[in-house]
Amino acid sequence: VKDVIIKPDAPSSLLLDKHADYIAAYGSKKDDYEYTLSEYLRMSGIYWGLTVMDLMAQLPRMNRPEIVDFIKSCQHECGGLSASIGHDPHLLYTLSAVQILCLYDSVDALDVDKVVEYIKGLQQEDGSFAGDKWGEIDTRFSFCAVATLALLGKMDKINVDKAVEFILSCMNFDGGFGCRPGSESHAGQIYCCAGFLSLTGQLHQVNADLLGWWLCERQLPSGGLNGRPEKLPDVCYSWWVLASLKIIGRIHWIDKAKLRSFILACQDEETGGFADRPGDMVDPFHTLFGIAGLSLLGDEQIKPVNPVLCMPEDVLQRVRLQPDILS
Amino acid sequence: MKLYSISIHHKGGTKANLLKSAYDLSSFSFFQRSSVQEFMTFTSALIVERTSQGSRASVKEQEYLCHVYVRNDNLSAVVIADTEYPQRVCFTLLDKVLEEFSRQVDSIEWPSGNPDTINYKALDIHLSKYQNPKEADAMTKVQAELDETKIILHNTMESLLERGEKLDDLVAKSEHLGNQSKAFYKTARKQN
Amino acid sequence: EVDVLVQRVVKDITNAFKRNPNIDEIGVIPCPEARYNRSPIVLVENKLGVESWCVKFLLPYVHNKLLLYRQRKHWLEREALADITCTLLLLNPDFTTAWNVRKELLQCGVLNPEKDLYLGQLALTKFPKSPETWIHRRWVLQQILGQCSAADRSKKRQQGDAERGDAEQGGAERGDTERGDAERSQQLSEHLARTLHQEMKVCSDAACRYPSNYNAWSHRIWVLQHMGQGNVKVLHDELSSMRLWVSMHVSDHSGFHYRQFLLKALITELSQTPASTSSPQQRCSTAPSSSHLHHSQANGELSEGEAATDEEWQLSANTVLQLFHQEMELCSDLIQSFPGHETLWSHRRHVFYLWHHW
Ligand SMILES: CC(C)=CCC/C(C)=C/CC/C(C)=C/CC/C(C)=C/COP(=O)(O)OP(=O)(O)O
Repeated sequence: VKDVIIKPDAPSSLLLDKHADYIAAYGSKKDDYEYTLSEYLRMSGIYWGLTVMDLMAQLPRMNRPEIVDFIKSCQHECGGLSASIGHDPHLLYTLSAVQILCLYDSVDALDVDKVVEYIKGLQQEDGSFAGDKWGEIDTRFSFCAVATLALLGKMDKINVDKAVEFILSCMNFDGGFGCRPGSESHAGQIYCCAGFLSLTGQLHQVNADLLGWWLCERQLPSGGLNGRPEKLPDVCYSWWVLASLKIIGRIHWIDKAKLRSFILACQDEETGGFADRPGDMVDPFHTLFGIAGLSLLGDEQIKPVNPVLCMPEDVLQRVRLQPDILS
Repeated sequence: MKLYSISIHHKGGTKANLLKSAYDLSSFSFFQRSSVQEFMTFTSALIVERTSQGSRASVKEQEYLCHVYVRNDNLSAVVIADTEYPQRVCFTLLDKVLEEFSRQVDSIEWPSGNPDTINYKALDIHLSKYQNPKEADAMTKVQAELDETKIILHNTMESLLERGEKLDDLVAKSEHLGNQSKAFYKTARKQN
Repeated sequence: EVDVLVQRVVKDITNAFKRNPNIDEIGVIPCPEARYNRSPIVLVENKLGVESWCVKFLLPYVHNKLLLYRQRKHWLEREALADITCTLLLLNPDFTTAWNVRKELLQCGVLNPEKDLYLGQLALTKFPKSPETWIHRRWVLQQILGQCSAADRSKKRQQGDAERGDAEQGGAERGDTERGDAERSQQLSEHLARTLHQEMKVCSDAACRYPSNYNAWSHRIWVLQHMGQGNVKVLHDELSSMRLWVSMHVSDHSGFHYRQFLLKALITELSQTPASTSSPQQRCSTAPSSSHLHHSQANGELSEGEAATDEEWQLSANTVLQLFHQEMELCSDLIQSFPGHETLWSHRRHVFYLWHHW
């Protein structure tokens, strides 16, 4: 079996302070080469960093006015938001921007009507969503569209029935979902589709036992989860898989204790932060999904996280959004 | 499913002496091949040095598996494969190659010979023929011959090292690794 | 000072492509320090390498140049834009906006689609998963398809015009245009077939460079769905050429999923064979093919024309059965030779599922 071996000296307790320091310092290395390399996804990067800080109750350490200003300057004429200044708008970053503004309770920093127009304009005849004006179709973008609209309370502005129809056309014989009709099931895409069906009130359409089975087959002897058969475990899949299981009411089907020890082993004791696998380089992406995964596993040092939107539950209570969960 | 390298060594008192090797590095990016080759040679020698006489072992290192057979007469061979390639077939290949080598090359040459002086040419052919284990026709035959419980499994290279010894230090000290390879090692680790 | 250096390196890269149109791989050469008086751009055996020390300067430079242009703070000529996006994307192929700039250059005819497919192919030699590179490819392929169908339409229109104009103009001229059109449409379909073939190669290479490469395999499916519509021969060829590949990659779940896709597509096509292999006129009379066939058979009211298609149907049913049998055999063989692979069992399950639902 393709898997990793967790060494006996791997971290086994949660190093919250280190992680908070790591994220707080991350944004201050703006001249870094690595930072430049990832600018094309900056808006999502900020969402990862702020969400994990909020889950650790450390949000006040981040520079709120600077971030809100930055987001404002990323909204384009068409209403969509880009990853950073000078980049092109895209649904991926539109969702991240709205998520961040929800954390900060400042959605009105944006021209919300234009955001809604932008999203509406990207829906296709078959109900699917293009990620931007260039037309790529992916179930990820359907999720981004409805998640953004749900956060803004504007779900009624698109053709929800058609959108659901498209998502269901991507369901596979194993109960999973891929990026387009006929594509292979993938834990990340499954998360998007399960989240989509939750937000649109259509979770009864999934075959929860079949899908739940596929999802918990992702757990490996090390306790970690992979995203597809015979791939290595990766901390981010502890989120995509676990959140999906939570949404369809089957989270008790995995071995929580083993998963917890895998996630903890992915911490870097020196730098703080989580890596994809024990011993690799840490980054904010895996740090969020490590912490959020532990939250789903019930760690009480971390705020409860919502499995559909990957945001703190208290923030969703504030915006009065309670997506469905199967029991 | 891939075999990357096969090499024959003589296990001396402290060092392993490389006698012959063959590589198939076509799946690596062009500019990394020379460094990868140096590392495979380095790793193979290290494994022979740390494996005891008359034993078989498999060592896992990231997505690679190194299989070693050190015979009682200290003639040894290592094959480096990916994790998909069947272990059983690797050990058949090692047996077969060492058998053939010891028939063709006089044992007097083993302790001091080197790839230029040793006259044994079949390694490249074996490596390419065994790329597809089904074609090598070894799948069924060997099952009976090999007692798999006798193969020691190491989950990391580190478990071959002595207390306090570090792989990074061994790499840094090695005379067989060029500067480019050492730089490559630094960047290849921990990143993904 | 750094600017001068970097500008020279960008130029060196552009020149390397001009000098050698057969570059087939890019890579970074581990090299912590510059060597005196030597370009960091190395070209050997059709491989283009950049020494690692210079990437730190090169990337931020092209990155900032492009963003300043995008914010209309700094103008760039089209040539420069093409060169800068090329360097940028070879170093950082998920920089979506840079691909978008190239899409605009393509739309106004400054770049041609083949060039961009080539650039993407090179980026994939170093970054075989890069989602944005695959996304851009699909956009470019759609442009090519659009051009082809536009050419097709205009051909049809011309033909219609010619027929209408026939009475006045006399036949000789028309014969010429017709021959020209036939040639052009032949060229067009050959061009499409070549492009399709080339895409398959790009997907295979990327699949070899990164195991279970989701993006490569789902792109391959997209290509067949959009460019191989109903082409039974292409599907058959793919299925047989994939046989050895999957046998050598028994844990590649994506590769096996692709086989499942091929099987399903073939079964669908073969189940409609009487309609799709007969002449267009016949096709109209029997459409909608399969459901109609089953229906009339069930009612036992076969007309003469339908009796002939019934035989054909039997033939293709046999082909489908044979496909299933061969696939099960392949499965059993691989499971026995390579025990312990989840992928192989999941494939077996899927094949049974397809069989069951046939
Ligand atoms: C609100 C949150 C948390 C997310 C927003 C919604 C999005 C964009 C979710 C992305 C989900 C995801 C990870 C989709 C998978 C994309 C995909 C098909 C990746 C292919 O990757 P592989 O080739 O399997 O790569 P690995 O081997 O690295 O897993």
